[in-house]
Amino acid sequence: MRALAGHGTQLKASRGPVRAHKGSLKLGKVGTPLLVGAVAYNPRVVTVWEGFSEYFRRGGLMVEYVLFANYERLVDALLDGIVDLAWNTNTAFVAADSRLRGAAVILGMRDVDAAYATVLVARAGDTVSVVDLPGAVLALGSRDSGHAAILPLHYMAEQGIDLDRVSLLRFDTDLGKHGDTGDSERRVLHAVAVGEALMGAVGDATWIALKAEGRPETEGLNVIWRSPTYNHCCFTARPELPEPVREQWLELLLDMDYNDPELRHYMDLEGVKRWLPGERGGYEDLAEAMGKQGYLP
Amino acid sequence: MELGGGLEVLLAAMLDPASPGDEIEVSTASSGVAGELLGWARRAGHDVVDERKDRDRTLIVIRRGTSRRVLAPPLAAAGEPARLRPDGFHTRDLRLNGVPDAGADPNSGFVPLGSLAEAGAFGFAWQLNDRDGLWSNDLAQLVEGASASQWDASRDIPWGEARGLAPFLEQAVCQVVTFIAQNEYAAYYVPARFQHAVNPEFVEVLLWLASHVNDEARHIEVFTKRGVLNGAHAYALASAQRSLETLLQETDFTASALLLNVLGEGSFIDLLQFVERYAPDPATATAARLAHRDELRHVRFGVTHVRQALEKNPDLQSRLVAAAEQRASRLLDLTGISPLIVEALTVLAAGSLTPTRLSEAAAAVRGLMKDIAANRTARLQEAGFDAATARYVSDLHTPNLM
Repeated sequence: MRALAGHGTQLKASRGPVRAHKGSLKLGKVGTPLLVGAVAYNPRVVTVWEGFSEYFRRGGLMVEYVLFANYERLVDALLDGIVDLAWNTNTAFVAADSRLRGAAVILGMRDVDAAYATVLVARAGDTVSVVDLPGAVLALGSRDSGHAAILPLHYMAEQGIDLDRVSLLRFDTDLGKHGDTGDSERRVLHAVAVGEALMGAVGDATWIALKAEGRPETEGLNVIWRSPTYNHCCFTARPELPEPVREQWLELLLDMDYNDPELRHYMDLEGVKRWLPGERGGYEDLAEAMGKQGYLP
Repeated sequence: MELGGGLEVLLAAMLDPASPGDEIEVSTASSGVAGELLGWARRAGHDVVDERKDRDRTLIVIRRGTSRRVLAPPLAAAGEPARLRPDGFHTRDLRLNGVPDAGADPNSGFVPLGSLAEAGAFGFAWQLNDRDGLWSNDLAQLVEGASASQWDASRDIPWGEARGLAPFLEQAVCQVVTFIAQNEYAAYYVPARFQHAVNPEFVEVLLWLASHVNDEARHIEVFTKRGVLNGAHAYALASAQRSLETLLQETDFTASALLLNVLGEGSFIDLLQFVERYAPDPATATAARLAHRDELRHVRFGVTHVRQALEKNPDLQSRLVAAAEQRASRLLDLTGISPLIVEALTVLAAGSLTPTRLSEAAAAVRGLMKDIAANRTARLQEAGFDAATARYVSDLHTPNLM
């Protein structure tokens, strides 16, 4: 298990120069960079943002990026005005939105982030359904993952499952990354496959990706339940971000063409074929779940 | 059928050729598959526009998105098949029209003949992109010959029959094969230096260079093995080294073909024939015979390539002569082949140290040197130089033979 990165003292030390830089530049003027924050859950994030910044620069919008070790620091940076835009998970968006009292602005999401779902898988031979969960073991991904931990518990409760009677087998790997690395979900699948858990919760996108690749983790497992859909990652801004900047950002973002050979490499690395404007509707379940499960102040 | 179990193949076969906005309907009896299809479509850049129950089945309508999986135009319908000859698929039949286009795209990647390059690949920067600077019309045939006449320096040489020569004779053989092996190193490194620079569109050139380098590696092997066979030692002469080093300095492909293939290996043909004829043991004779057979191909390539290049571009002649002059200027103080080599060749040919045999052998070696010079001039003429220029260039050639 990886420890949460970033303690107060380290954070202060890294804030100084960034602030000084921001203070000398006024957002919205020519040559003022829009600072995007993202989490470095994999080295490829650098490649993605080098490619994307170049694309935005070519389109006339100066974009620079800052990488964070975890989403908690990214949300802090957004709220403290260190970054203008945060490339957030759904959990991070809900946390930011809650601290902004519902005023967070969504400025785009990937096609895969809309209509996201959680699936419960079980061994193919076990004819089980969610009502069999009480008295059994449910494997969950990292506890800060919306799709592999927080939402599955929420939806199970909604289904009337008595969670007090369900043993949870949690794989809290890569905490702070909100499940981005997929590591905990692979452990969930393995736990179900070897019989350590009766069922396991993973994101449908993760499940499909592993299955389409013919990965051994998926062998002998079946989807036995699929959740209502919700939204996943989104770009989040504070309400002060000027309207013209929002418009320019969104216009360029939605204009990214997967059929453009210059962009395909970066879009593939980001797992997007088409950007969507995004909307708030898909985060209500998660906000409720995080509230009930004590993730929000 | 399920995803990861063939369903995605069927979906791709339906959706890939369809136009954006076209819809396909999937009917499945499995609610698990139905659920997975929603996520699959989203990941693949398509939209699910309808999902409904039809008795015990689920119907899902997928609308094709705009993303293309391969960034290239659709593949053309199959064309004319390649020609097959009674004994197989010949390299010269690789292309329907026999030759590649004159200029290759310097930034093209690894795009096998007949395939279509996808956009967005990382660009290469090939240095040799001009067909006529690399080509010869008998290239495919030479490649064919190279493939057909590979041999094994471990097993195809009667090594056991080279034991027991008198020490003075073994010493002479050892010095001669050491000299040859030294030269084969240069013949190895010169074509090898061009391998990475040739545009991959000229696949026949790649095959040719690979065979050339492979031949020379085997020559290094066989003559090194003959050298160490009986435990004798010989000198790797500095004069040979100096001459060969200048060969490696030439960076132009055609000039290298002239200096190495036509002039150097051309001279070696006569030397190897001499060694085959006079060798005191069957192992040395066989090694020389097999290497000679390979060198004939290399010389043939050089002669044809230079001739064709000169035909296409007569101005090239002055550049080629300049290359020979430049090499000669770096070897001004090399006045003749090393006496050690001449003596070793003489002893090898004599097979004994008796005065009669030695003087006969010395005459044979002088004859060899005369033949080498005459044949070199003849080859240059065959390669497209006029008689006077051929004599001039031949005289400029290194006395080291290669």
